[in-house]
Amino acid sequence: MSSEERVTVAGFALALDRCYQPDTHMWVLLDQPGRARIGMDALGIETSGTLAELSFAGVGTELIAGRPFGQLEAAKFVGPLVSPVSGWVLAANNEVVRDPGLAERDPYGAGWLIEAELNKTGGELFGLLADPDEIAAWFAAKIADYRLKGVIAE
Amino acid sequence: VAETLRVIDFGPSSPLRSQTLWHAIAYGVSAGAPPTLSFTRPATPYVCLGYHRGLDELNADYCRENGLAVLRRMVGGGPVYLDPDQLFFQICLPVRAVPPGRSKALRMLLEPAVTAFRAGGVPAVLDDDLEICLGDRKICGHGAGQIEQAVVVCGNLIERFDHVRATGVLALADPAQRDQTLALMRRFVAPAPVDPTIFRTAMISAFTAALGLEAMSGELTRMERTELHALDERFTSETWLTGLGTRPSVTATRPRARQVKVRSRIWTLGASFDGARIAAGVVRGTIEQVRVHDPGLNGSTGKLERALTGIPVDSVVPVLARFGEPGRRLASAFAAADSGRL
Repeated sequence: MSSEERVTVAGFALALDRCYQPDTHMWVLLDQPGRARIGMDALGIETSGTLAELSFAGVGTELIAGRPFGQLEAAKFVGPLVSPVSGWVLAANNEVVRDPGLAERDPYGAGWLIEAELNKTGGELFGLLADPDEIAAWFAAKIADYRLKGVIAE
Repeated sequence: VAETLRVIDFGPSSPLRSQTLWHAIAYGVSAGAPPTLSFTRPATPYVCLGYHRGLDELNADYCRENGLAVLRRMVGGGPVYLDPDQLFFQICLPVRAVPPGRSKALRMLLEPAVTAFRAGGVPAVLDDDLEICLGDRKICGHGAGQIEQAVVVCGNLIERFDHVRATGVLALADPAQRDQTLALMRRFVAPAPVDPTIFRTAMISAFTAALGLEAMSGELTRMERTELHALDERFTSETWLTGLGTRPSVTATRPRARQVKVRSRIWTLGASFDGARIAAGVVRGTIEQVRVHDPGLNGSTGKLERALTGIPVDSVVPVLARFGEPGRRLASAFAAADSGRL
């Protein structure tokens, strides 16, 4: 990813070369036709707290957009990782399972979560934010909202 | 008109039901039942694992010899010992009623419990690590999770705490780590002398005030009863108990470490490599007690232990480097620890 595609918005890193599900802070990076890598953005990681555990559905499991594909534990709080796409799990990142801190240190790179084969219709991708300007504006607004509500520090 | 906070006191429950009852409530709240505060007390002792934790973290022989059932919950945290001297509470809300940040959500849902401890005469605080404490001792264990579209936070009033059993159920590397764990457990985990009736009443008041809800005694819905039976079956299945296992395991040729969290920032570590063993009690990043063994130390064991005592965990390796080959082996053992967490 070129440096132009990685920006910092109000103190949080943001990669502009991919799509985002704005409610769940999951990103989708199409790496070849019909295949995508999925991870969580830096703001989603920050609001989760220090990651203690990550677990994912097994390879071959069907993914349904809006349904969990795994679980994240931070601060003794277990919550779902919600899939931004429909398809199937192709691979899970065992490195991030072994060291969940990887998702904190490099959320858009080595801290990816799973790889997916997308459902042939690929329809859900149309519900994701894809335009870099739109992504940056959403991200900035989300940070401002979270700061206003005390969800993240000023 | 204020919305309702359903309050259900299940009283004493079997170990299984002391878990499945409130999990069933979570499914109910997810499906539209009102926010719910529930209470239960296990009728007999048992052991419970957090969602992500491995069975290998438990001392299976000890659990079997003491007749302790083992269950796995859907929420987070480590392996814990539960018994009739602990009153458990669970607050369950729709996910939309909870702030998106976990720290903020946990603070919001644990503060009323702090208020209840105070109403019972215990000047508890919710510390920066989101643990309910009295001084430097944790007095309430908690776990949390999102189940479908509901968030549940559970915790306990510890009327008496059996430190020996709470340590006994844990799989530890060796007797030295067991001694250190018990000592730190006694020092940093304590019961709270609060009358449970006062605590329960104060919890209801505190949660209704915090959430702007009106308390109303209730019971499980039909849907929740159906879920309860399904959960009873699920929680007693081998598949569920086995769970996800632990993180991808190290191979037999690599050093092995057993790391136990006593409370936030308080750990013990037991690790071995190639005949060398190290057991350490780590308090807020500093080694307070340490026992080492290596066949090559030749009388310098005490000197090495003194050199390690009182130093930060990130200074261990340079100190061990002064002790030649045994130090190198011990450093390899220590390297198996997740030192970032210590």
